[in-house]
Amino acid sequence: MEVTAEIIQDAVARYAAVRGQGTLANLLAFARVLKQLGIKVGMSQVIDASRSLGFVNLASKSDFRAALRANLVSEKDDIALFERVFEFFWQDDHPERPTVDVVTPPMVSGERDGWADGEEGGVEELLAQGQSPEAQPEPDEEPFSVPTYSPNEILSRKDFSEMGIEESRAVARAILMIANKIATQVSRRKRRATKGESIDPRWTMRKSIKYGGEIVELVARKRRIKKTRVVLLCDVSGSMDCYSRFLIQFMYGLQNELWGVETFVFSTSLSRITHLIRSKDIAGALDRISNAVLGWSGGTNIGRSLQTFNQDFAPALVSHRTVVVIISDGWDRGDVRVLEREMRRLKARCRKIIWLNPLLASEHYEPLCKGMQAALPYLDYFLSVHNVHSLVALGRTLQRLVA
Amino acid sequence: MNPKKLTIETIQDALRAHQYICDRSLATVVYLSIAMGKPLLLEGEAGVGKTEVAKVLAEVMETKLIRLQCYEGLDANTALYEWNYPKQMLRIKLEEVQRGDREAVETEIFSEEYLVRRPLLEAIQSDGVTPPVLLIDEIDRADMEFEAFLLEVLSDFQITIPEIGTIRAKKRPYVYLTSNRTREIHDALKRRCLYHWIDYPSLEKEYEIVMTKFPQVESLLAKQICAFMQRVREMNFYKRPGVAETLDWASALMALNRHELDEATVNETMGCVFKYREDLHRLEEELSSKRLDLNQMLKAPTELQA
Repeated sequence: MEVTAEIIQDAVARYAAVRGQGTLANLLAFARVLKQLGIKVGMSQVIDASRSLGFVNLASKSDFRAALRANLVSEKDDIALFERVFEFFWQDDHPERPTVDVVTPPMVSGERDGWADGEEGGVEELLAQGQSPEAQPEPDEEPFSVPTYSPNEILSRKDFSEMGIEESRAVARAILMIANKIATQVSRRKRRATKGESIDPRWTMRKSIKYGGEIVELVARKRRIKKTRVVLLCDVSGSMDCYSRFLIQFMYGLQNELWGVETFVFSTSLSRITHLIRSKDIAGALDRISNAVLGWSGGTNIGRSLQTFNQDFAPALVSHRTVVVIISDGWDRGDVRVLEREMRRLKARCRKIIWLNPLLASEHYEPLCKGMQAALPYLDYFLSVHNVHSLVALGRTLQRLVA
Repeated sequence: MNPKKLTIETIQDALRAHQYICDRSLATVVYLSIAMGKPLLLEGEAGVGKTEVAKVLAEVMETKLIRLQCYEGLDANTALYEWNYPKQMLRIKLEEVQRGDREAVETEIFSEEYLVRRPLLEAIQSDGVTPPVLLIDEIDRADMEFEAFLLEVLSDFQITIPEIGTIRAKKRPYVYLTSNRTREIHDALKRRCLYHWIDYPSLEKEYEIVMTKFPQVESLLAKQICAFMQRVREMNFYKRPGVAETLDWASALMALNRHELDEATVNETMGCVFKYREDLHRLEEELSSKRLDLNQMLKAPTELQA
């Protein structure tokens, strides 16, 4: 996401009222601005930053800058932004900016949930003292203009009966193989086992106690298999219609072959359908899904769907062991900046993101549509699925990659 | 050196005296980490001297360097402590033969004599005048489990061994963590550290580094080497060479008694700079197609002041 000078200006302007109330207040406001622009800053870091100022010569701007940077930035990619905000914020004689017409900056990342538990406070209190109530920054709301982003959104219910799902053995087998590749991953950590590559002295010793210290049983160690969770996000918008039969099968196959799979479908909004496809009865499942999911074959808003996912589901479902599989053609009618931001948030949280794109198979396809382009930098694997053959290929690829 | 008397300037000068050229911002961060007792996380491309900071600092402070090289699967037993099982077993057997006092043996085999100290315990237990420098190298190679464990150690600087008790650091060691950014370090760990990104050096700085490490190198050659490296780093190689490669190359050229770079010399010695076949191949192409014009590049650096 491009952070323009105006966005920085706006962000700084929000906290203008706090300025001039001492270094600590300034520092808090500065941290808040960074935070608002997407740099992760925790309260403990701000406290340490303020502590560190006791050790450097504040008359030297470069030392002051280095001290703040070392404390507040912890990511290379944030350094450039930090420098820009620093320059703007700590101008030697900043003209007092108007405090009243505070505008919610258009697309500044809307993460107000950030200061970890109990760390909320500081700046808000200062703001409350120094600012008139109407100038209080409003909680960021995504500036969606709902009626316009997807003009031909058809909230239709797809009639599944015409799909006539039949179990193709090849597809089922391919999916099983993929499922296994995604879900198991050998850990470098070891666990105790009766057979294994090396001896575990600690447990061998422990076991010998019951034989009076005589070593009878050798306890070995072997590599652990890590269980990986899989979250499947399926695009069921109109542009994916011709693949929906395959999608259903894929969702169904993955969910039923693997432990701990969560399945979601999205078009303009996101729905969790894990519980709907848990049973063995495919035909019934389709009915249930088509009844429950609004917007099947409608427009697409990947960004907003991902946002819902990140906000409502990711904290509970996604960890560093989770592989997120997104199946979509990347045609997105929503705001690309939202998509980009949400992809970044998702990437920071999960182990791997695999994007399966049915269009990738066509020779002339290049990921030109904006949505796909915005998402690309955050993908670990960008692969094709369109027929059984590509599924098998996918299985092989994953075998090499995930191992 | 007395840590209480340190200033940013003395650190910069002392590092320089030990042949580590650093800019003021790095010196500031190093100073802050010592003054605040906070670990310092150094990130940067391979070969820019991340590890070297800790090594040189240990020399400057005249203290011990304790190094923990991370790898996937590194666990608490390897990082912290382990009982010396063979020795314990031998002792038990011996006592059996001699019919010694059973209880005494039990307490004894779980005493410090039978403890194998691993780097973290060593750093915490160390009781020199100056605390040791603890270098946790390439933390990005360790896994999340180890990171979580490290978090615990780095926040309290104490370790509990059930059989012995809690061991608390008398003085906090100076902790340096390095990462090559092969994966994200967890926020919680980052929050406990100061952060500094070490960039590739500027032309002037790199020249100074070469001249400091090899005072006998001819100035022209040093300039040419640095100009070449700067130019190559702008290009899109799979693995861009770091300062370590610059120094390797300089020492190789000196061993070969070269006083100046030319195309033949470059071709002969490129193995010092590029370690991948694709990169070497690419460089050859660039040179032969004159997209990378060696002659022009080698003339240019003369404006650099010595």
